[in-house]
Amino acid sequence: MAKFLMEKINRDVTLKIKNATKSFAGVTVLNNVSFDLYRGEVHSLLGENGAGKSTLIKILSGVHKPDQGKVILENKEFVFNSPKEAFKNGIATVYQELLVFPELTVAENIFLGHTPKTKIGLIDWKKIKADSRKILDSLDSHDLDVNARVGSLSVANRQRVEIAKALSQKTKVLIMDEPTAALADTDVKKLITVVKRLREQGVSILYVSHKMPEIFELSDKVSVLRDGNHVGTFNIKDVSEDLLVSKMVGRPVDKLYPISKGKFGKPILEVNNFTDGLRFKQVSFKLKRGEILGIAGVVGSGRSELAQSIFGIKPSKGGSIKIDEKEVSIKKPKDARNLGIAYIPEDRGTQGLVKEMKISHNVSMANLDREANGILIIFKKEMQNAINAIKKLGIRARNALQLVRQLSGGNQQKVVIAKWLQTEPRILIMDEPTRGIDVGAKSEIHQLMRNLADEGLAILMISSELPEVLGMSDRVLVMNNGTITKEFSKEHATPENVGSIMTQKVKETA
Amino acid sequence: MRMKSIFRHETILFLVVIAALVILSIQAEQFATIDNLLNQGRFLTEVSLVALIMTFVIVTGGIDLSVGSILGLSAIVLGVAWKKLGLPLPLAILVALSVGTLAGLFNGIIITRFKVPPLIATLATLALYRGLAEGISQARSIRGYPEWFFVLGQGEFFGIPTQLWIVAFFTLLTGFILTYTTWGRATYAIGANETAARFSGIAVDKTKLFIYAASGFAASLAAIIFVSRVSTTRSDMGMGLELDAITAVVLGGTSIFGGKGTIVGTFFGLILIQILKNGLSLAGVKSDGTYIAIGLVLILTLLISNLFNRNSEG
Repeated sequence: MAKFLMEKINRDVTLKIKNATKSFAGVTVLNNVSFDLYRGEVHSLLGENGAGKSTLIKILSGVHKPDQGKVILENKEFVFNSPKEAFKNGIATVYQELLVFPELTVAENIFLGHTPKTKIGLIDWKKIKADSRKILDSLDSHDLDVNARVGSLSVANRQRVEIAKALSQKTKVLIMDEPTAALADTDVKKLITVVKRLREQGVSILYVSHKMPEIFELSDKVSVLRDGNHVGTFNIKDVSEDLLVSKMVGRPVDKLYPISKGKFGKPILEVNNFTDGLRFKQVSFKLKRGEILGIAGVVGSGRSELAQSIFGIKPSKGGSIKIDEKEVSIKKPKDARNLGIAYIPEDRGTQGLVKEMKISHNVSMANLDREANGILIIFKKEMQNAINAIKKLGIRARNALQLVRQLSGGNQQKVVIAKWLQTEPRILIMDEPTRGIDVGAKSEIHQLMRNLADEGLAILMISSELPEVLGMSDRVLVMNNGTITKEFSKEHATPENVGSIMTQKVKETA
Repeated sequence: MRMKSIFRHETILFLVVIAALVILSIQAEQFATIDNLLNQGRFLTEVSLVALIMTFVIVTGGIDLSVGSILGLSAIVLGVAWKKLGLPLPLAILVALSVGTLAGLFNGIIITRFKVPPLIATLATLALYRGLAEGISQARSIRGYPEWFFVLGQGEFFGIPTQLWIVAFFTLLTGFILTYTTWGRATYAIGANETAARFSGIAVDKTKLFIYAASGFAASLAAIIFVSRVSTTRSDMGMGLELDAITAVVLGGTSIFGGKGTIVGTFFGLILIQILKNGLSLAGVKSDGTYIAIGLVLILTLLISNLFNRNSEG
């Protein structure tokens, strides 16, 4: 019976997008895109950054109006004037940057904007809390306290609050924009369960992600966008990962990781019993010239704190750092830079880039004092360096004067890398070097990393993506709960070995 | 970005200044005389010196509400050091400048070390420094400065008021620093994204300390010119000066959220406010009407500029 119902339901189109076209400042970012979203299906939207996914999502969720084309929700044509209007009509969106209010409680966040009222018009707190509980329970989040302040929650839990908010009204279509970009593996699994459950409840889900494994695990259908055009919609059963990637990029992509020559120099960085007294303790390792040393660990294992303490952003409490066998003292990022250390931070938007500035100004930022004549900026040199960097790293931009905020994620990340290569580092620490970047740019960055290592640069790479750690590293350190629990040589670093050590005795996440 | 904004906000402002000049010259005969305009320059000096550095402060995303009080405090210190303590006047001037600079530095320390938001930190020192000034002065004004001292505020060089030379020097200097030096670039970077600036090895705290100290210095320099111009020292000098300075900076197109702004803009902002004040009063408009006009011009200029500068998505 249930099965029969499902199949019948499955045939209903919930949302139709017809010939959607949108351009900004004369540039067409979405060109004549049409596809259907059926009831109770997970429909993935694939495409490189800049392919038009965000624009499409924003049209559906009422942020932008299409120049041409229609949005048809349950046989009714809509032009949404605001996100609120879209939400009221049953289209809810969970964005990559979560829009929760950190100072409010879980329940308050869920019902913000449509709080139930008592008979005399006061806020019905009892109902808010009870309903929030009910929604969260339906999402398998029994451990999430409705009275907790959202600011105190983990990213994964905040995201659950967003999803609960989306479901607090009669939601027909749920749009999820890279929901797993900032999640650790265990949380990704939980999220996938939640999405599957929503599908069973008949919600249509438009799912945007760069991560192939989850797309194949979750989706019923997948639509690919490239340069604003709809390349095609496929049943997930009929396609392979390689095919999708080539559709996305428009050319076959070398999915393999670049091969290491396996030739390393002397150790350049030596960290001994390094401690910050809080997030990591007694960390010791050596990094050789020409080597890529991977640190695997879940979010919260102390990886980023370790990197930031080495780089002088966060204070350390004990232990020593030696460079070229000489003990050094690093009190601030400039000390680290002067010793030849560069740090590509995990969050490029807030830590890596000044998005409102030009590419050239970002590229010069870490090295400007060295390239200046006293305190005078040499603009010609700055411009030339930026142009060279754009060429060398293949940054796709109009010119060096373009604002960084207008670039796609992959190109933004290349600007961060260019900025630090400008300092001519000998040790490069990369924290999540390809987070939230499309496959094309990802393989380019991987190739770049290997080339740099071959030129003798020592690279310390932190990543929560296990395939990346295993594919790129010459040696793997596993970090768990603030200590390095195990070291693997390349041969012994298999997904099973490393994965199990990574998640051993993981702290409770809720 | 810099070129673009010169074509945008600063251009609009320049046109508004020209329009105001033309209209006011027609409305009031005495307005467009050399004597009147130069004299207006004298009145403009104190707020100009403060507003130039305020541009840096606001570009970093901060604010300095205590400048008026620092001006008052420095003026009192000048008078007391000279008359009560019997220091030679040049030395008293140095003492006053140092006190102002230290007061600004103290603001910077509260803001960078103790992470107090600039608005609150300088709101507190606004009260603190004014209180100190009143306590030291005991509500008595100080007069009787020697004749040579009035050169600063009342004299002229080559037919132009002395203080205008000083303002011109500092306008060029600050404009140069903000546009052409690594310090200026650091100022913009801090205002646009402080975390990224820190992660890029920019000495964020040091830069801010320096800017707030410079703000204090500018206020105390303004104090000395002010005292020289009016021949007397009172503890209520410079009251409300901070608002005039901030108005000029914001009118000049500096974003109150930081990261954007130019000295050229502030310069036009200062001129526009002063000619409106003067021209309207010469044209027979009462002071309340003048304030309304200034408020309207501020809102209109920002509206027009926003209209032209609305960012397209991409």
